[in-house]
Amino acid sequence: MGLLQEILFGLVTGSYIAIAAIGFTLIYGIVNMINFAYGEYLTLGAFVGLLASTALPVPLPVAVVVAMVGGGIGSLVLARGFFTPINQTGPVPLLLTSIGLGIALRNVIRLVAGRNARYFETETTTVRFDSVPDLSVGPVDLLGGFFVTTEQLTVVGAAVAVFVAVHLLLTRTNVGIAMRAMGDDEQLARVRGIDTQLVRDSVWILAGVLAGLAGVLMAIQTNVSATTGYSQILQILSAAILGGAGSPYGAIVGAYVIGLVIALSTALLPSGLTGLSTAAAFVILIAVLLVRPSGIAGTEVREA
Amino acid sequence: MPRGTKTRVRRRSFLAGAGGAGIAGLSGCVSFGGGEESSGDTGDGSEGESDGATAGETGSEPIALGQPAALSGQWDFLQPGVSQATDAAVSHINEAGGVLGSELEVIRRDTAVNPQEARTVATQLVESDGVAGLVGLFSSEINPLWDFLQDLAMPVVTPWPGSTYLDTRGGDKLTPDDVSDDEWVWRTVVGDTVHTSGSAVYALEEGFETLGVLNGNTEGERSYAEGFLDVYEENGGTLVERVEVELAQSSYQSALSRLFDADFDAFLISLPQESAITALSDWSDGEYGRQPILSDTLASQAVYDQVGSDIEGAWAAQPGRSGPGYDTFEGIYAEAGDAEINAWTPPSWDAVTVMALAIERAGEASPAAIQRNLGPVSRGDGTPVQTFAAGKEALANGEEITYRGAATPTTFTQHGNVFGTVTISTAESGGFTQTSQVSAADVREYVPEGQY
Repeated sequence: MGLLQEILFGLVTGSYIAIAAIGFTLIYGIVNMINFAYGEYLTLGAFVGLLASTALPVPLPVAVVVAMVGGGIGSLVLARGFFTPINQTGPVPLLLTSIGLGIALRNVIRLVAGRNARYFETETTTVRFDSVPDLSVGPVDLLGGFFVTTEQLTVVGAAVAVFVAVHLLLTRTNVGIAMRAMGDDEQLARVRGIDTQLVRDSVWILAGVLAGLAGVLMAIQTNVSATTGYSQILQILSAAILGGAGSPYGAIVGAYVIGLVIALSTALLPSGLTGLSTAAAFVILIAVLLVRPSGIAGTEVREA
Repeated sequence: MPRGTKTRVRRRSFLAGAGGAGIAGLSGCVSFGGGEESSGDTGDGSEGESDGATAGETGSEPIALGQPAALSGQWDFLQPGVSQATDAAVSHINEAGGVLGSELEVIRRDTAVNPQEARTVATQLVESDGVAGLVGLFSSEINPLWDFLQDLAMPVVTPWPGSTYLDTRGGDKLTPDDVSDDEWVWRTVVGDTVHTSGSAVYALEEGFETLGVLNGNTEGERSYAEGFLDVYEENGGTLVERVEVELAQSSYQSALSRLFDADFDAFLISLPQESAITALSDWSDGEYGRQPILSDTLASQAVYDQVGSDIEGAWAAQPGRSGPGYDTFEGIYAEAGDAEINAWTPPSWDAVTVMALAIERAGEASPAAIQRNLGPVSRGDGTPVQTFAAGKEALANGEEITYRGAATPTTFTQHGNVFGTVTISTAESGGFTQTSQVSAADVREYVPEGQY
């Protein structure tokens, strides 16, 4: 298959990562903490979605909405319970708390939900475009036949919808503008009458909603288990850092860079090195940070 | 009290409570203690307190075996059948009067198939629980802990490991009375060398002369693929393309795209179940076609259900259920519960039974005595026995015995391995069913003498 097909695979992988990375980076930019428990937020969202689609049962699109609502509520409850009480202690205690919370949540989910992976019942249709001509440049075919599945289109479509919604939220709504103001200078924002706790709560809810969506999309492609989100947290973290920690637009760019590097390195690395495709993405991360320590965007949410 | 002070006190109280709850929660989740005990129907549940060195001589104290187990982790779906077989064997042994007149119990602790955790659990079982031997441990635990296990000098008879690493390691080297040249690991399941050989032989017999391989980048998955390829290529097959992938990826489409750009007859998938389901679903969505050959753990209902009808025709070679004692085992097992029998279930029954027979023949439950007797109760021309009860009776009559197991005949080689038939399970009509067998004799041709 040609490069076009590999790019499509990379865009799909990047879309999964991007949705989650936006939530992750908003927490970093506004609450000023690296939330290592964020992978478990995805897992919780996946379980809520599965529960809705099997126990209620509701159609999958409704289950996705339920997962997003559940993710938002769960995120707020966890923040109020574990992070808000130690908000003033600084980023290191918050980071350590999030690591502990992540381990505890993962094991609690395993104990409550059991050992076996669970699966969403979905139907996937494949659309093929085999008549696209080859366009060879050296050993690489730039075009060539390709296929897309309805599942892949759904993921990319959901990601684009999230990008637009987050952009509108941050630039067109009072709460979004307040988020940016608070990210810039919390003391000044408070003096200007912004309810900073309300803004923090809004960020936690938004991050939870995005985690719920990303969790269900990830689970549809893979499975629902205690490690559904945890297995993706390094890629999410890397996308956020690569793009410029705190910048939602940078996180989107970072996510697609990582998705494309993973896909293209699998396709192009020598045979014995294909198992290192994720490592190749991290090499890119290190290289970018060496050249541009503030990440690709170089701006945080306050300057978005 | 000033407002700020009150707030600080409340936060401290909160943090203290949350910290305490977290520690309590984590200590419950991570296996630092608290093993399960199994002592069969007749047990009172009390934990064995003997040091294992002389237990059983007087018949007054329970004799304990330790079972490092996959109660969590990526292989935990296989543990219920193994636990039930272990418990059934223990019940059967205790109903027959126990070992050396003492009740037998198994103390089961979770390792999550993590080498660090396995080391801790093995130490706990030996030092704290005073077990006389171990009836567990996976390849990915044994291989990195090899030197530790030799220093521990505790017989390990395990139903799990397939790794080729153990092909020439373990056993008594056919000198049972001399433990100085022994290695303390024995396995009652056929190694990957055997069933990957069987799988490769079957692939060639079916006319699949060119092959693509998609395998995980972990030791177990690589070992399976390489074991297959060794026999496949030595006997005329050609590897066309091999793609190695990381586990738990959200998509394997890029890897599949690369693999299927090559021209081959069949492709081998060696991945753990959850990653394999993702990869095979991607394969189905991409309409790549060709003949799938699955690694041994993938012939499961979950794989069929999630991949769908496209998987029909795929087959996997698994350790066979060809032991002379299989029917006896199956009858007792069925009464012990409803866990599904998997390829590691009969070997678990064999591990407990052959260990108990070794203790009975030794007349004591010390590690060295068990090690000296595992070979003699499994080889030679003694009275064939299929259960502990029959073996105990024969030993009481002064006869030598040869245990005939459920999974295989359980005739330990010099390296503590067993040989058996290989079963071919094919996906058809809604699930995997046994469609063919490769006999032990056929497979043996491809495994050099002394190399297993």
